[in-house]
Amino acid sequence: MKYSFLFLLLLAGLLTGAQSSSSMLSDDSTRSIELREIQVSTTARSDRQRMIQFYRGNQSAGIEDILARLPEITLIRRGTYGMEPAIRSLSGGQINVLLDGMRIHGACTDKMDPATIYIEPVNLDEVQLQTGTQGFLYGASIGGTVNLKTATVPCHNTRKINGSVSSGYQSAAKSFYESLQLRYSSGKFAIHSSVTWRNSEAYRSGGGQRIPFSQYQKVNYSTTASYQLNERTLLKADYIGDHGWNIGYPALPMDVGYAVARIGSLSLQQNKPGQRMYQWTTKIYANQVRHYMDDTHRPNVPMHMDMPGRSLTWGLYTEGLMKLTRQQQVRVIADFSSTRLKASMTMYENGQPPMYMLTWPDNRKDQGGIGMNWKWRADSNWTLQSVIRMDLISTALTSQEAKEHIRILGVNNAGRLELLKNISVTAVRKLYPWLQSSLSLAYAERMPTATELYGFYLFNAQDGYDYLGNPKLAPERSLQGEWSLQVQGKKIRIKTSLFYQHIRDFISGSIDPSFSTMTIGAHGVKKFSALPDAHLTGVEASLLFKPVAALDFISTLRYTRGEDHSGDPLPMIAPLKSTSTIRYQFSRFFLQAETEAATAQKKISNKYGEDKTPGYLLLHVRSGFSFQLAGKKTDLQYGIENLLDKNYHEHLDWGNVKRPGRNVYVLLRVKFG
Amino acid sequence: MKKTACILLSLSVLSVCFLLTACSKDNADNNPTTGMTRISEGYAAGAATKVEIYSKQSLVNTGYNKFYIALYDSVSGNRVEEAHIHLTPVMDMGMMQHNAPFENPVSETASGHLFPCSVTFVMPSGSGNWTLEIEVHNHVTGKEGTLVLPITVTDPVIPRQQSFTASHNGAKYFISLIEPSSPRVGINDLELAIYKKESMDNWPADSSLTITMIPEMPSMGHSSPNNVNPVHTGNGHYRGKVNFTMTGLWRLNLDFMSGTSVADTTQSFDVQF
Ligand SMILES: [Cu+2]
Repeated sequence: MKYSFLFLLLLAGLLTGAQSSSSMLSDDSTRSIELREIQVSTTARSDRQRMIQFYRGNQSAGIEDILARLPEITLIRRGTYGMEPAIRSLSGGQINVLLDGMRIHGACTDKMDPATIYIEPVNLDEVQLQTGTQGFLYGASIGGTVNLKTATVPCHNTRKINGSVSSGYQSAAKSFYESLQLRYSSGKFAIHSSVTWRNSEAYRSGGGQRIPFSQYQKVNYSTTASYQLNERTLLKADYIGDHGWNIGYPALPMDVGYAVARIGSLSLQQNKPGQRMYQWTTKIYANQVRHYMDDTHRPNVPMHMDMPGRSLTWGLYTEGLMKLTRQQQVRVIADFSSTRLKASMTMYENGQPPMYMLTWPDNRKDQGGIGMNWKWRADSNWTLQSVIRMDLISTALTSQEAKEHIRILGVNNAGRLELLKNISVTAVRKLYPWLQSSLSLAYAERMPTATELYGFYLFNAQDGYDYLGNPKLAPERSLQGEWSLQVQGKKIRIKTSLFYQHIRDFISGSIDPSFSTMTIGAHGVKKFSALPDAHLTGVEASLLFKPVAALDFISTLRYTRGEDHSGDPLPMIAPLKSTSTIRYQFSRFFLQAETEAATAQKKISNKYGEDKTPGYLLLHVRSGFSFQLAGKKTDLQYGIENLLDKNYHEHLDWGNVKRPGRNVYVLLRVKFG
Repeated sequence: MKKTACILLSLSVLSVCFLLTACSKDNADNNPTTGMTRISEGYAAGAATKVEIYSKQSLVNTGYNKFYIALYDSVSGNRVEEAHIHLTPVMDMGMMQHNAPFENPVSETASGHLFPCSVTFVMPSGSGNWTLEIEVHNHVTGKEGTLVLPITVTDPVIPRQQSFTASHNGAKYFISLIEPSSPRVGINDLELAIYKKESMDNWPADSSLTITMIPEMPSMGHSSPNNVNPVHTGNGHYRGKVNFTMTGLWRLNLDFMSGTSVADTTQSFDVQF
């Protein structure tokens, strides 16, 4: 398997290249196991990677497929494409979604374009997930950070082009997936390029019904070029282009005609640049997203409407790991980013001038912060860790037109300047060689988003209300705790986590009867305001069991409850869900069976237009093998998802749009060079 | 030689350009009627004064028209900045004649070289002819004279004036929309002028009504928040705020009350941008 191969290579590189690299990895996740010895931490890393490998069951599926299987992550679904990740039920401005440490702001006021859509799984190296209590090292947040790390190019110095071609088909959406990867390295120079094309028709749900407006088409291309300046310094340039068109969003009243993202960065990676400095990365980046949303293809619209948006972000960060003493290390980061957003809406009525307004009045967010993750192994049984971050964030409206819009809401000075403080402490205690326990406490703050501050009559298809921003919103503040227990045996690993969050000034839309709706058919107007508080409690568990070398068993379980100040359930909380996978690998052949089960969700938020969601049980089977095809190493993978053709939807699926039914897929990958 | 000529030529061109721009700039600064349209002009016989009427609109529309009168000494051509001006708009419909509401210049001293005033033409030309009689008492020379100018009044594409017969007293009221004159998304000034028709030649300003204004986008059926109802601020002018959340066609729905009794609830103005 190519992935494992690449991955092993990378791992080997890390192990041999520098001890620092691997110890660097140890704080890449909040998982307490990774706070320990180097060897263990790499194991932990490979555990996570193995999980990803596992869950990458259907290799022609998008990145959402991988994220969905991490117990901490839930996905808010508005269409087949562009599902929005949530960490422990927190999403949007409450979490950071980063690509190789870069901030990317979507250009869609309806959140159709989370940053996760810009990385093709074929380029994914690692999903770094940091939950609440330690999730703010890379940016003030109360919910955590997902950082998608793309693969780096190992320098083979083969002076030969090598790569792979993949081709896949999925029956539910009659979708094609074609991908080409090319690598070349010579001396100090290495380059890696990839192109992926996806074409998906409207899929059929369980029972056979087509879901209209669920099609999409996209092309994603990326190039990474690196140059070894000296033994310790690597200069790297990355570019990702992503073009999507004719993307349907069955749960929304609009689709996307065209969306394009251009993401570029230049980074300098230093390995052991100083006596106590282990790894240092400095990156400067810029990205632009353009998004053209319209309802041209929808039948019976009262009025044709276009909603284009754009975002422009640039930023830089410098990040490194320092070993203070044998027992203490500290990771530090300093970063700055600046984001500009604008979105508008134009409606057309015959014989009248077009109706034009700004939905995101031109605005800017400048953010600068410094963060530190300090770790101290006090003795063989105790480890202490603390993450501290400070951010200075300024937001402003940047055009006269934008200011005029917001003045209508009675706000003359909509600019904001906030100092955000995030701090956490974690103690890890090894109770037995096979059992450890960790406890984290944190105080976190996060800035309201552009939508929450400046949104102008943004229609929410889930609850049917027009939303208005509130430039005076206070930052959300959270007090949270997490306790986890971890069993580590030779053949078994179990981890359970219990978490609690108490959020003050919880940002939420409240009906404001003094405003009249803008959108035809909307129920009313909600203004973003701060609820006194809200709380979230949850549990996650995962089990890895390997009774014999050929057999792997992985099972995860999660459950979350959320309530607002009045005791009403919070919206968009997934019910109890459990996935189990058993995989049998024999030589070049594997067979994998999966179950995915969720209970009914009855704790629903009526205020947000939710209804009850029934439970479901899904069965997937996958298989694959490697062989030589005309002397080329070839992988064939195939499987059936939703074997029972269950007609179902998840609680976080907007509009109760049914998910794909039985899906037969096949993927062929040929390696060359 | 050739080079020197070249340089000299370009220098002279440059200096001419400079002078030209300087001149035009000077003119712009001195000329208070830049950007306005001269509606009409003539000589006030007896006052030895030339009268020019300007407007910020290119046409004279039915409804409230703000005019700016410039006076010149007909002999010296110098501006006359001290004068007493009285207006009398007259509609001659053959069988009958009537007047219209007007506002004489408030001051006998020009403001910015001009005398601002207004006439509310209550109907368009066509079924009769409008004239504007202007009596000028030139305070510089002490002479007095009168001038009668024909004025062509046209209905704008979107009406800026409405009238109704009030249900509480049976009187006829004429409502003109003055602001917003250049509407945009955001908070706009709202200004109405209300005149009551007492008789054919008496059209006093009204201050007795209370107004409720609700803007609406007819094609979408929505309104906008935080509007301020116009209230009387003097001489029949009512001022408030109207907020437009987007461009397009808006309708300002107006309800008029006299104390607790309803005067009219049927009027509206369309604003399109
Ligand atoms: Cu969109």
